[in-house]
Amino acid sequence: MSSNQTIFSGDSFQLGYRFQSYWDFHMATAFFFGELGAGLFLVSLYYGFVPGMVAGLLCTGVGKPYYHMSHMGVPMKSWRAILRPDRSWISRGLISIVIFVPCGALVVLDSWFGWSGGGMLGKLVQIVAVAASLLVMTYQGFAMSHSSAIAIWNSGLMPIASLVYSLTSGAAVTLALGLIFGGIDPLALSKVVMMFVGVTLLVQLGLLHAAYHGTAGSRQSLELLLRGQFAKQFLSLVFGAGVVVPLLVLWLGGASILGGLLAAVGVLAGFYAFRLLIFRAGVYEPLMSFAARLGLS
Amino acid sequence: MARMGMVFDLKRCIGCNACVVACKQENSLPEGVFFTRTLSEEYGVYPNVKRVYIPTLCNHCEDAPCEKVCPSGATFTREDGIVMVDGEQCIGCSACAVACPYDQRTQVTQESLTKGLYGTGELTPFEEDGYKRFSPGTMIKCDFCSERVDADLDPACVVTCPTDARIFGDLDDPNSKTSRLIRDRNGRPPLADKNTKPKVYYID
Repeated sequence: MSSNQTIFSGDSFQLGYRFQSYWDFHMATAFFFGELGAGLFLVSLYYGFVPGMVAGLLCTGVGKPYYHMSHMGVPMKSWRAILRPDRSWISRGLISIVIFVPCGALVVLDSWFGWSGGGMLGKLVQIVAVAASLLVMTYQGFAMSHSSAIAIWNSGLMPIASLVYSLTSGAAVTLALGLIFGGIDPLALSKVVMMFVGVTLLVQLGLLHAAYHGTAGSRQSLELLLRGQFAKQFLSLVFGAGVVVPLLVLWLGGASILGGLLAAVGVLAGFYAFRLLIFRAGVYEPLMSFAARLGLS
Repeated sequence: MARMGMVFDLKRCIGCNACVVACKQENSLPEGVFFTRTLSEEYGVYPNVKRVYIPTLCNHCEDAPCEKVCPSGATFTREDGIVMVDGEQCIGCSACAVACPYDQRTQVTQESLTKGLYGTGELTPFEEDGYKRFSPGTMIKCDFCSERVDADLDPACVVTCPTDARIFGDLDDPNSKTSRLIRDRNGRPPLADKNTKPKVYYID
């Protein structure tokens, strides 16, 4: 038996891979709401679709903080997370959310009541809201890619995956809401959603490819996702529901309400599954192996 | 100022885990929480099976990723190089835990501080006194027994080791035992490719 045999040591006192378990359901859901909300706001803003902007702000302003606070060990001290923007992506992200939500709300109010009268202040607020939303869409990916501990996260594609998933889910939900409430061109937007889903697929494949050519830890995580205990969920939800279903229903269903809703549900299911499974498949690499060095393997 | 570090002599470690017990006692650690572990690696085919023991603890990295990602500034490095966590500032976000390549962070839960040794909710006098140092929900880790270091003593795990497999000292002093061992016996840090510049070295 080689000492190179993969061992998941868990909490035992054996040398081996250990699962990352600190960031799980609550953090995955917080990440999901943050990126969905920012993407939904941005896409809806582009199409002038106010219900989407409101839904996006609620996702980022209510859903995300709720699940972050559920995860925190000391939630009443959560405000301290803002203190280190010089070093921490979490601090930078929190600052961007604090800017994004009020500015986004002002943009919505402007579209309802015209408080800026079309002036420069209204445009400036809109620019700030867009810039902050872009940061909200990507900071989580940067926070993950910054971690050399979890090899599959340590990829330059992680922030890009965050951005792409954010835009894809935002576009899909804008389409679904637009088909229900009216006010958008569903045919044009459905083509945009299909394009975003295609880009998402490319980024996913790029991430998996990078993991394959990365360290032993990233290959171990990849094995878990594609052939191991997470394979069924990963393949069926991330690729099946998240890519194949939306592409099929939008191509066949065009701009129907049912097609739009099915596509949105598929995209969201795939996105959430990606978030959660990437967390759960993260592993710490074994500290070292001395077997070969001691001539004992 | 000194730069405190540790050396593990793998030829001497016998895997008795006395260091683990000493650490739990010194730091009043709740059930399931370990600041140090002695991992084992087994290989070979019966009857030629062998086992190596590898002690582990926080490496007090010079380029500590846990300190860089901490959003509240709770994680900091002392002048002597010991990486500490200020429980009053920690918000329990676990960013440090997913940043540490060595998985040396633990979150202390309210449950673990109230369950008690017998799981009845009653704490022993030892637990009552010892658990005062912990804030529920915060992240904790080895601090090289900083209070003992301040009193010019070695950490509990070093003092307890029956084979002197753990050596503690100033890495900036070329004549310290740690520095000499690293130099003479080719001391290597764990997971050097992670570029965290650990202050714990292994010799064999």
